Amino acid sequence: MQHILLIGAGSMATVHAFSYLSLSKIKLVGIVDPNSEKAEPLAQMTGVPAFVTLEEALDKLEQVDIVDVCVPTFLHKEYVLKAALHGKHVICEKPLAGNLADAQEMIDFCNYRKVKLFVAHVVRFFPEYEKVKAHLDSGSIGQVGVVRMSRVGKMPAGHQDWYSNPDLSGGVVMDLSIHDIDFLRWCFGDVERVYAKGLRGREWNTKQLDYGLVTLRFRNGVIAHVEGSWAHEEFVTTFEFAGSEGIVDYDSSKDKPLDLKRRESSEAGGGVFVPLSTVEPNPYARELQHFIECIETGADPRVTAEDGFKAVEVVLAALQSMDSGQPVTLGERE
Amino acid sequence: MKIGIISVAHMHAVGYMYVLQGMPNVDIVGIADEDRSRAEPWAKQFNLPLYSSYQELLEQELDAVIVTSENAKHHEHVIAAARAGKHVLCEKPLSTNLEDAQEMIDVCERSGVYLGTAFPVRFSTPVAAAKKAIESGQIGEILAIKGTNHGFIPEGWFTDPALSGGGAVMDHTVHLADLMRWFMETEVKKVYAEYDSRFSDNPIDDCGIVTLEFENGAFATIDCSWSRTKAYPTWGDVTMEIIGTEGILHVDAFGQKINVYSDKVGVKWDPWGDNMDEGLLRNFLDHIGQGKPPLVTGVDGLRATEAALAAYRSFEEKRTVVLR
Repeated sequence: MQHILLIGAGSMATVHAFSYLSLSKIKLVGIVDPNSEKAEPLAQMTGVPAFVTLEEALDKLEQVDIVDVCVPTFLHKEYVLKAALHGKHVICEKPLAGNLADAQEMIDFCNYRKVKLFVAHVVRFFPEYEKVKAHLDSGSIGQVGVVRMSRVGKMPAGHQDWYSNPDLSGGVVMDLSIHDIDFLRWCFGDVERVYAKGLRGREWNTKQLDYGLVTLRFRNGVIAHVEGSWAHEEFVTTFEFAGSEGIVDYDSSKDKPLDLKRRESSEAGGGVFVPLSTVEPNPYARELQHFIECIETGADPRVTAEDGFKAVEVVLAALQSMDSGQPVTLGERE
Repeated sequence: MKIGIISVAHMHAVGYMYVLQGMPNVDIVGIADEDRSRAEPWAKQFNLPLYSSYQELLEQELDAVIVTSENAKHHEHVIAAARAGKHVLCEKPLSTNLEDAQEMIDVCERSGVYLGTAFPVRFSTPVAAAKKAIESGQIGEILAIKGTNHGFIPEGWFTDPALSGGGAVMDHTVHLADLMRWFMETEVKKVYAEYDSRFSDNPIDDCGIVTLEFENGAFATIDCSWSRTKAYPTWGDVTMEIIGTEGILHVDAFGQKINVYSDKVGVKWDPWGDNMDEGLLRNFLDHIGQGKPPLVTGVDGLRATEAALAAYRSFEEKRTVVLR
C-alpha cells in the first residue's frame, strides 16, 4: 500500500485526488495547500485531512510514501526538493520546471536522496496517443515524414492568474504544447532544431491570448508542427502523422465518444481544462498507477525525469527562437 | 473572345479548357505543345487544332493566351505572348526565379497587355467568404494563420527541378502565401523553412513547413507537403486557421464535399462545391475585356514566388531570410 500526500488543491490536484480514490493498493492520506479555503473542500470530498504546509503534513501523518506535486509550475521546485529531503518519492506535474537549472537541480537532488522523480506527461497515457504510437512502431504508415499536433483552448484561470504571466507559466508553449512536444519525443527521440513564432512579447500577448506555432526537426529527420493556443473557445486536440505508406489522424472535436451541450453557455474562464476520457481507468489514473508500479517493481517509467528535462529544453529553444527570430539547434542553446 | 492554350504540361490546362468551352462568347482557338503526344488526346477531346510550336499559335487571331507549360518555360511563353500583343494568364508559380518574373511583368507592361497569375483558390467560395468576413472586421486584427496545402506526389516534370524549379515548397507554398497576402493586404517580411524528401525516393523536396512573418506583424505557417497517401480520400486541400483579436476563422477551401464509403470506388470525398477555375477565368476574361488588370496580377505571382524561393534559401543557410 502506497500512501500519497497531494500538494495543491486546484484542477489537476482534484483530478489526481479522485484518480487515487479509484485505484486499489493506493491510499490518499492528505492534501496540502497554503490556502486552506481551497484545500478544505477537496479534503472533505476525498475524506482526508488538509494541511497548510508539507512539513505539517509529514509531521502529523503516520505514513507518506509519495508526494504528488500539483501546484503552479513556479512552485514545483520548492515542493519537490522538500519532499526529496524527507526521503519521499515524487510525482511532479508538467512542466518539470520553468528553466533548466531548476529542472537539473530537482533531478540531481532526487538522485542524491535516492528517491524517484516522475514527471506527469499524461499524454503518453491517453489511449488515442498510445494507439498512434503503436502504429508508428508497427510500421503501418511507413517512414514518417511530417507530423501535425494541435492543442487549443481558452487560457485557464489559475491561482492569481498565473497562466497569463509568462514569467510564471512560460506561456502557452511551455504549459500546453509541452504535452505534444513530450509525446513527439517519445515517438521520434531527440530534437535537432527548433523554429517558432508566437504572441510572446507581442502587443497582443495580453491576459486573454497566447498562441504559438513551433516547427521541430528531429534527429531522425521527422518534421513536426506543433500548434498551441490559448486563443480558442473550445478545448480541442488533433494530430496527423503522415508517412510514406499511410496517414493516421485524430480530431477530438469530431471523434467524440461523449458530447454534452448545455442549453445555456456556461461561464467563461474556470480552471485548467482537463480533457476527460470515457475510458476506464482514465488516463490520469493509468499514469499514476504506472508510476506507483515503477516504485514497487523498480521498473523504468514510461516517462523519465530526464524526459521531463528534455521537454523543457525543447520548449526553451522554441521561446529562444521566438525571441531571436532564428532557428535554434539544440546543444547550441545560450 | 479568342483564347489560345500554350502547353498542356500542367494538367490544369484541361480543367481550364472544360470551363472555357462552357462559356458563352469564348472560343478556344487551339493548343500549342511541342510534345504532340501528350497534347493530342486533349486536342481530339476538345476538337481543337494542335500546333507544334507556340509561335504558330501566336500568329492566330487571339485576345489572350493561357500558359500552362512547365514552370521553367513560363518565362519564354509569357514573353512571346506579350510581344505578340496577347493578354496572358500564367499558371502558378509564375516563374522559377525572380529575374524571370520581373521581366515577364515588365514586358507585359511595355507591350500593353495584362498579366494574370492563376491562383484559383482566391475564387473558392469559402475563401472569398473568409476574405469578406475579415474585411468586415469579424475577427478583428489578424495575429496568426496556420495553413495547409497538402497534396499527392505529382508525376513527370513536377519532380524534375530543371523544369519545376523545386518540389513541394515551390508547388504549394505559393497558393497560401498569396491568400495570406490578400487577406491581410501586407507583404511577406521574413521566411524560414524546414523541408526534406521523405515520401518518395526522388531527391526533390516533397514535404516541409514554411514559416512566414508579415509586415503587419502577423506570423503564419504553411504545410506544403505532398504527404497524401493513395488511400487518403482527399480531392484537394487548402485550409487556414486564422487567429484574430476578436475571433477565429477556419477556412477549408475543399470542405464542400460528401463522404463516400463504397465497395466499388472505395472511400472518397466527393465534392459539390463551386468550380474555382470558373471564377478565375471569368475574372480574367471580364477584366481584360473591360480594360483593367485581373484580380490576381503578375506582381501577386512574383510575391508568392519570392516567398517560396526565400524558403529554399533559408533552409540552405539555416537562418531566417529577411525580404524587406
